[in-house]
Amino acid sequence: MIVAERKPFEEISKMLTGYKKVLVVGCGACVTICWAGGEKEVGILSSQLRLAASREEKELSIIESTVERQCETEMVEELKDKAQEVEVILSMGCGVGVQTIADVFEEKLVFPALNTTFIGMPQGEGVWTERCAACGDCLLYWTGGICPAARCAKGLLNGPCGGTRRGGKCEIDLEKDCAWVIIYQRLEKQERLDLMERYYEPRNYRAVKRPGKIEIIRK
Amino acid sequence: MRTNIGIFLCDCGESLENIDFEMVRKKAGEFQNAVHVGLSSALCLEEGLEEMVSAIRGKGVNRVVIAACSPLLKETVFRKALEKAGLDSSSLSMANIREQCSWVHQTDVTEKALEMIRMAVNRVRLIKEIVREEVEVTREVLVVGGGLSGMKSALEISRLGLRPTLVEREPTLGGEGFYVLKPFPGEVIGSMAKAVEEDENIEVLTEASVVKVDGDVGSFSVRIRRGGKEFYRTFGAIVFATGQMTEISSADFKQTSNIISQQGFVKMLQVPEKFSKRPEVIAFVLDLSGESSRLSTLSVLNNALAVKEKLGSEVYVFCKNLKVDSEGVETLYREVRNRGVVFVKFEETPKIESCEDGRVRIEARELLLGDEVTLFCDLLVVEAKPSPSKGAESLSSMLKVGTDSQGFYQDENVHLYPVFSRRKGMFFVGSCRGDLDPTRTWMDVSNVAMNLYELLSGGKVRVEVDKVKAEPDKCQACLTCIRVCPHSAIRLVRSERSGETKRPFINGKREVAQIHDLACEECGICTSICPAKAIEFSGISDEQILAEIEAMGEGRIIVFCCAESAYPVADSVGKLGVHYPPQIRVISVPCVGRVDLIHILKAFEKGAAGVLVMGCQEGACQHLEGNTRAKERVKYAQDLLEEMGMDRESVKVVNLGPNMAWKFSEEASRMAERTEEGKR
Repeated sequence: MIVAERKPFEEISKMLTGYKKVLVVGCGACVTICWAGGEKEVGILSSQLRLAASREEKELSIIESTVERQCETEMVEELKDKAQEVEVILSMGCGVGVQTIADVFEEKLVFPALNTTFIGMPQGEGVWTERCAACGDCLLYWTGGICPAARCAKGLLNGPCGGTRRGGKCEIDLEKDCAWVIIYQRLEKQERLDLMERYYEPRNYRAVKRPGKIEIIRK
Repeated sequence: MRTNIGIFLCDCGESLENIDFEMVRKKAGEFQNAVHVGLSSALCLEEGLEEMVSAIRGKGVNRVVIAACSPLLKETVFRKALEKAGLDSSSLSMANIREQCSWVHQTDVTEKALEMIRMAVNRVRLIKEIVREEVEVTREVLVVGGGLSGMKSALEISRLGLRPTLVEREPTLGGEGFYVLKPFPGEVIGSMAKAVEEDENIEVLTEASVVKVDGDVGSFSVRIRRGGKEFYRTFGAIVFATGQMTEISSADFKQTSNIISQQGFVKMLQVPEKFSKRPEVIAFVLDLSGESSRLSTLSVLNNALAVKEKLGSEVYVFCKNLKVDSEGVETLYREVRNRGVVFVKFEETPKIESCEDGRVRIEARELLLGDEVTLFCDLLVVEAKPSPSKGAESLSSMLKVGTDSQGFYQDENVHLYPVFSRRKGMFFVGSCRGDLDPTRTWMDVSNVAMNLYELLSGGKVRVEVDKVKAEPDKCQACLTCIRVCPHSAIRLVRSERSGETKRPFINGKREVAQIHDLACEECGICTSICPAKAIEFSGISDEQILAEIEAMGEGRIIVFCCAESAYPVADSVGKLGVHYPPQIRVISVPCVGRVDLIHILKAFEKGAAGVLVMGCQEGACQHLEGNTRAKERVKYAQDLLEEMGMDRESVKVVNLGPNMAWKFSEEASRMAERTEEGKR
């Protein structure tokens, strides 16, 4: 899933300076699950915006709405009536959501309320960690199902750097595991340690031609 | 159906003099949907109740607001009256104008009383009709562990007409309890095992173990492994009687053949003829690692006495303290002393060494006389340290039932003692939940039996259907509620498509969270945390809380009170005649875990000056973590306020014990002062 977090209030508030009618749009998919932009967060941010405006004695009316998935044109189109009433649409979706809304309502200003951070997974309550770098050249077959591109701070392909700390932690962040230590441990369990000796050539960072596009044609 | 609200005021025998009831009566009549306002001087007495019932019937009232004393006193009586009048008992909302209004202020509080009534009116308008249904529960009970407490549980449960199944890992029943000779000599255990086996109502599965438990109270689906085969059985409840393990910790001495455990010693004593040579001097040592338990004291005293009877050896007991508070142990201690057993009390850990002649030397400093004592004994019996039984950790994490800091079953929480777990229908008895002596274990067994009888004997339990419900059209199956539910009452199920929906249903079905009506303990933690706002708690919905806030004037300080702890404390402030500022408004919540960020923010939006969230003391939340969650949430709310340039201290969490009326008043006054200052 896509993981995002809310921008600081000050930044959002600056973007909205001077506008009196705002539609705050949540997304029911990934960002709901990572507690960043679901219906609950829409309520909280809207309430904050209203409170801040009333403290500064500014006029501000907010419409709150959450769509099933902001990355689907058809689902975003349902906002049509509400969008007509406002000057600005504040999207609480990921970067894809913001752009879908912007495409659907070209004449409207569409601002992002979130910073989209990574593709990851929940690790228990309220914790999400990165798992995939969306590099387009998956090497999980070789690395025991652990991605060094996403989980090594330096994205190293041929084993750890010299900065692995006691307990297999990363020198960049002592709370995080060194990806190569856990790759080694996993391969050891699988009796595939010989894979550690494999040399990886510098990666093809053009595996995904930007902007990426995949077409699956079904008969 | 049109909402017809009947408002019933009670001036408590005309004693609430600082409220102008005539004025209240007049103004309350103007509230939207109010069809009747009645005033009584004793609404809780027969006459008052009858008047209310006839007014409800006569005026077609379908929602009732009662403004009187605290709901903690007479709510049940009023609810019954509602039923008598043909309404659902849930159609009531109370305004506590006595304890939390009249009694806490000296000045005229007519306006405050009126505002509290308006809050209750707003809430009652949104009450949804509750559907009650009977769900079937099976009368089969699983007892895990065939030791003393397990066997006793099975016998008691069987006696009550329920059907216990006893699962024991070992080939025979009996467990570890036999190392205490008295009051359970081997014969008692034997006869108990016999009684269990002869009881046709009890099914005994030896050499069996529990592999997996699914489902909830009333119908747990349990996978049992026995003889290489696995099978499923359904049980209404599960009793854990898995006992404890004991181990000699040899950190303090080098282990030899003449240093043995209590357990080993009891085995030897059972056949004293087998001693190759009668030991002349026997010593017992307690408290080597930390402090010993009641059970160790009991077994040392019993065994010392048995030595005197069977072998006649000299006996010395080295200890820090004896625990003699169990039934009959003080007498036993005296008897042991009279039989010539010598007790040596130490503070520093004694030195234990094996000598070349095969004896054991113990050196200790006697605490009372300060003398150095050196003893050579033929046999040293050391205390084995109790620890949680094998598999307790994996089983408790699989079942999400919690353990204490030492790894024994049961969270350290006052609401769970003695036998409850955090999950409904799962119980602990005996030494699996700590180091218990037999008397206390017996009490556990009776306690569990009583609870099981109440829960399962009818074969059916009445529940409120969907009192907490995840709306399939909104639920994203994000698992948040499942992860946070302290009572593990939520599952992911396949929901059938019903009617028009824009949700991506696959083959007409979709996974959604479902809260188990019987297992749910109604804390509301899931409702507050759901990121999709999909869960509705019909008893106290967001709409109801916000409607109460809506009814308030500006500048109020809203106090969210846990119904279990802070609400009664707020009442006691009134009872003690302590005062607090008049802008305080209490909103009762089932647990402070129900208080959501949006409630706090909306309160400020509606002009509140401050918010207090008052719950139980840490470690004493009946839902285990409602109060710690509230603490985190309030901290987050403070951050949100701060980023808007507001005073972060205008929302605060307070932990209250039941006797802390002064603290309630102090915190309320402090918040009032702070917000007054902020205005200036």
